[in-house]
Amino acid sequence: MQVDQTLDCKGLSCPMPIIKLAKTIKKMNSDEVLEMIGTDPGSKTDVPAWCEKTGNIFLEQKEEGGAFIFYIKKK
Amino acid sequence: MFKKGELRELFDSLFAKSWPMWIGGILLAILNILLFVIKYPWGSSSGYTNIGQNLFQLFGISNLGTSVPINLHAVALLNIFIVIGAFIASLFSREFSIKVAPVGELVKGLIGGALMAIGATVGAGCTTGGFFTGVAALSGGALALGVGFTIGTFVALRYILWEMEALPKISMGKSYIFLPGTAKKTGWQRWLGWILIAAILYLVSTYTSKGSAMKIIGWHVLFGLLLGLILQRSRFCIVRAFREPFMTGEASAPVAVIISILVGLVGFTVIKYFGVGNASELAVRAIELKAVYANFWLRALIGGFIFGLGMTVAGGCAVGTLWRAGEGHVKLWMSALGFVIMAPVSRLFIVPGVKSILPESLRKMVFLPDILGYTGAVVLVLLILLLWYVFVKWNEKTGKFSAL
Repeated sequence: MQVDQTLDCKGLSCPMPIIKLAKTIKKMNSDEVLEMIGTDPGSKTDVPAWCEKTGNIFLEQKEEGGAFIFYIKKK
Repeated sequence: MFKKGELRELFDSLFAKSWPMWIGGILLAILNILLFVIKYPWGSSSGYTNIGQNLFQLFGISNLGTSVPINLHAVALLNIFIVIGAFIASLFSREFSIKVAPVGELVKGLIGGALMAIGATVGAGCTTGGFFTGVAALSGGALALGVGFTIGTFVALRYILWEMEALPKISMGKSYIFLPGTAKKTGWQRWLGWILIAAILYLVSTYTSKGSAMKIIGWHVLFGLLLGLILQRSRFCIVRAFREPFMTGEASAPVAVIISILVGLVGFTVIKYFGVGNASELAVRAIELKAVYANFWLRALIGGFIFGLGMTVAGGCAVGTLWRAGEGHVKLWMSALGFVIMAPVSRLFIVPGVKSILPESLRKMVFLPDILGYTGAVVLVLLILLLWYVFVKWNEKTGKFSAL
């Protein structure tokens, strides 16, 4: 998957990851893919829920060494 | 025959995915009703104060109020075992790790915790004991606290959004993760969870084998464990209930809190109305006034505002701080530290000042049924909850008040 931008939210807790996600996506172009890395377990439900609400496309989620990685495509 | 795979399935259904927040809300409300039956409904900030007083005493500072030792203070134990319960739940669900946020965030945690301590002592209640429990307990001050939380949360959220633009470095920088549960070779984490559960059950049994006062304390240890497990699995969060309408617009958190208060309202009203647990009229009045504090209305409004600022900056209210601390968020460890240090200080140096400024008519103990009768009081609370529900659902669709 081609990643256009990466957002590091490691160590951050609610609500910082979602606020950063919203700000970053806002500045990206349509169809670009954002890779977001975080450690807050809450993000596992918050990120897909935010995508659904805002119409951005939640592509994939994986776990690596204690971090959660999300791929989001801007609508 | 019962197979091992079926036990595994049960375990996974509890710990593989997080629970819907409203399920957590119902379970928490049931435990809250039972806490009321045992002794006193759920609160948190007085536990922080007690832990703080004991810490100060440990360092030789005893003028911040002599206090009950932690191991005999029901609310302090409830707090501590909520942390441990959430820790166990996060071990079981492989969500535990020590998550060290950038320094700026850690400082925000500390400041947020300290603000919450000031707010909870000034307003005579936090989001849990003052509001969540208080509304169900038909307290007038609880409603004023809710208004204060709303304003405080709104203002602090504006600050965070501004900070992100003007001072983005605060939430950037070095962060670390230790002992992640999702890494390889972490089977020991689940074993540690089981060992802790066994140790807590043993501790409960040592309390309950003593006199009746100790039995009550023992049950608080057990309830702390259960509350912590439920809170972590459902991520039940009162900050979200106040913040989310102004942030993403999502209504699931406020709806979960509304449902939870509704369940609590039924149980609490029955207990208060019938004076459950006591026969004499005097005792019935004491039961009626449980979780009703002398803070209506300005005292609660001011305290609620300060608390709202603190919980939004910290990213967790008094109880939200506890369960996230158990999950390994170091920012919330700092929040707990700020709360614990500031609560005894505020109680001694800030609260008397506020009390002397505010006339008594602005910090009254208001038990709603005294004014409206039980029917009127319950109908008023139901109407307020309904209005809150209609607002968050309408806002979820229209996004009129949401920043993101």
